[in-house]
Amino acid sequence: MTDDKILEVNHLCKYFSSGKKSVMKAVDDVSFFVKRGETFGLVGESGCGKTTTGRTIIRLYKPTSGEVIFNGKRIDGRLSKEDSRAVTSKMQMIFQDPIASLNPRMTVEEIICEGAKINKLFPDKESMRKRMYEMLDLVGLTREHATRYPHEFSGGQRQRIGIARALITQPDMIIADEPISALDVSIQAQVLNLLNDLRKDLGLTILFIAHDLSVVKYFSDRVAVMNRGRIVELSSASQVYDHPVHPYTKSLLSAIPIPNPRVEKQRKRVDYDPGMHGYDASNQPSMYEIEPGHFVFLSEKEFADAKKQLAAQ
Amino acid sequence: MSKKQKIEAAKKAFAEQEALRLQNLENAKTERLSEDDCTFVQMDEKLHDQKFEHEPISFYKDAWLRFKQNKASIVAAAIILVIVLMAIFAPVFSGTSYREQHTEFGVLPPRIPYLENLGIADGCRTMEIQKSVLDTYGDAVVEVIREYNQYYRGKPIPMVEAKVNQYILKGADDYYFFFGTDNLGRDLWVRLWRGTRISLIIGVCSVLINCFIGVVYGAVSGYYGGKVDMLMQRIIEILGGVPFLVMAILFVMFLGAGIRSFILVLIITGWIGMSRMIRAQFFRYKDYEYVLASRTMGASDRRLIFRHILPNAIGPIITQATFAVPSAIFSESFLSYLGLGIQAPEPSIGVLLAEGQGSLTTSPHLTLFPAIVVSLLMLSFNLFGNGLRDAFDPRARGSE
Repeated sequence: MTDDKILEVNHLCKYFSSGKKSVMKAVDDVSFFVKRGETFGLVGESGCGKTTTGRTIIRLYKPTSGEVIFNGKRIDGRLSKEDSRAVTSKMQMIFQDPIASLNPRMTVEEIICEGAKINKLFPDKESMRKRMYEMLDLVGLTREHATRYPHEFSGGQRQRIGIARALITQPDMIIADEPISALDVSIQAQVLNLLNDLRKDLGLTILFIAHDLSVVKYFSDRVAVMNRGRIVELSSASQVYDHPVHPYTKSLLSAIPIPNPRVEKQRKRVDYDPGMHGYDASNQPSMYEIEPGHFVFLSEKEFADAKKQLAAQ
Repeated sequence: MSKKQKIEAAKKAFAEQEALRLQNLENAKTERLSEDDCTFVQMDEKLHDQKFEHEPISFYKDAWLRFKQNKASIVAAAIILVIVLMAIFAPVFSGTSYREQHTEFGVLPPRIPYLENLGIADGCRTMEIQKSVLDTYGDAVVEVIREYNQYYRGKPIPMVEAKVNQYILKGADDYYFFFGTDNLGRDLWVRLWRGTRISLIIGVCSVLINCFIGVVYGAVSGYYGGKVDMLMQRIIEILGGVPFLVMAILFVMFLGAGIRSFILVLIITGWIGMSRMIRAQFFRYKDYEYVLASRTMGASDRRLIFRHILPNAIGPIITQATFAVPSAIFSESFLSYLGLGIQAPEPSIGVLLAEGQGSLTTSPHLTLFPAIVVSLLMLSFNLFGNGLRDAFDPRARGSE
């Protein structure tokens, strides 16, 4: 892993307005970067803006403000045709719902080849088909599956088709938007391991969006915890899990079930109430670096307390 | 054992259990799973799926398999096919034309070979004749049913109720008019199929054009949404507010009665329903993840509309179009019936019905046959449409 930043997100905001007065701040001043070759986890409860962040990065939504830099180029706003090609082929997305993410009217071959076809990556049909077969093989499907329709596959197989579709353009980075949360538990490991192998073999960078903390811990190098459209804590996976600082992170971690019924019975969930900070005009939170590479979104006073606490541990 | 002792024993047992439970709880606190207790599963498992044994099933094949099970729809489809074939070929092979008049053969009842021997459609009509003139009918009288007296100013006039073969009577012995003739002696068989052909042409053409306009309008409105959609929907509302009959009368008066002006009348507001349905489909599908996936790969709007959204909306489109055909035919019949129809001598089902109703009591066949054909068309198209809807969207079964 190098320090080369493949993706940089600076002060990204995405507001949805419904009507004149109500504004939904789905993503509010989010900044982070992803290094080439690493897996960056984005966790948080449902509705905290993880998916919106992912979709804004890949240009499905137009950001309200802020900038997104991919491979050294700004990709928010209007792009020329070549720049846009560079994004659409080098950044890919894996979706949550394996049923809704494959067009039921297209064969597997058409689905997988679509990105390559749109971006005109192959000179002729034969080379594209050859590559498509390679992709099928890579995700553990057979050549015969190419002529099939999505409804003939199981959820795990469909998700692997989705992965093959994302890989055919040889992307540098994949945004995996809860790729396993719609899958059966017995299939989750299969897809997860496949993603992990592909990451190692192909040197992929993955932005992994999930709400399952134990999966993120297993999968990610660095983790950002999101709450209410903001990143509240960002650090390496082990630091976040072993030494959580922000109360929301602690609350999230306390919600992880423990695979031991007797212990699980005793597990106490810590409730997080955003009002507990008591922020006002003079006491505003901002990002602080509490340890090297460990950022927390706290007020100055809270930060001082947290630092003392961490030192005591 | 006394009662007191019993309670003592129960208390003691409970206390023992309680202690055990607390002990267990205490144990559990220290008993934590460490990472060494866990192993990764399926780590080195090589994924390789079996190929499927069965045939690939495409959307249309799937729909066909479901459609086949619906017997009523199959019958309806067969009836539509027969009617369409008749409408195309019957006028061509019948030897006469829809406008060929034989005034001497006016209002003949139906006569069909072979069936006439059974007493059905034998070209006969029951007539009441003065007995004195019965002889002038000659061979035409097939059977005398009864004799009676009719009193005219107190004087009895002997009458005969007789079954008379109209074909012999009018010297049309060599002809077979399957559905009889109208008052100008035109062959109803030819006129009916010719009329069906025109009704079908009007129905199908107007629906096809409606579909086209509706798909384009609805697609643009639904796909882009927002302000574009707002504006387009307001235009539709204004257009939809104009009363159909007034517009139809104006159009026919302005352009003259004919197939073209009729189709135009049916198009002018007919596409609105289709476009609304398409718009709803676009709203439904445009945020589906496969559309988003394609968009992240840089797909153009055109590709998203025609490759991703429209093929998924094709079921409702076909179904709605099928339902629209009978209603277009019905509108045509209804306007023709009101006298706004196709220019004579060109027939259409509505024109034939309008012509026939004047002599409904004396020659019911002039109304009966067009009515049967139009009813069959309506019923079959509706049943066929139902079958299609169930085939394309099994969840919608039974809903309207």
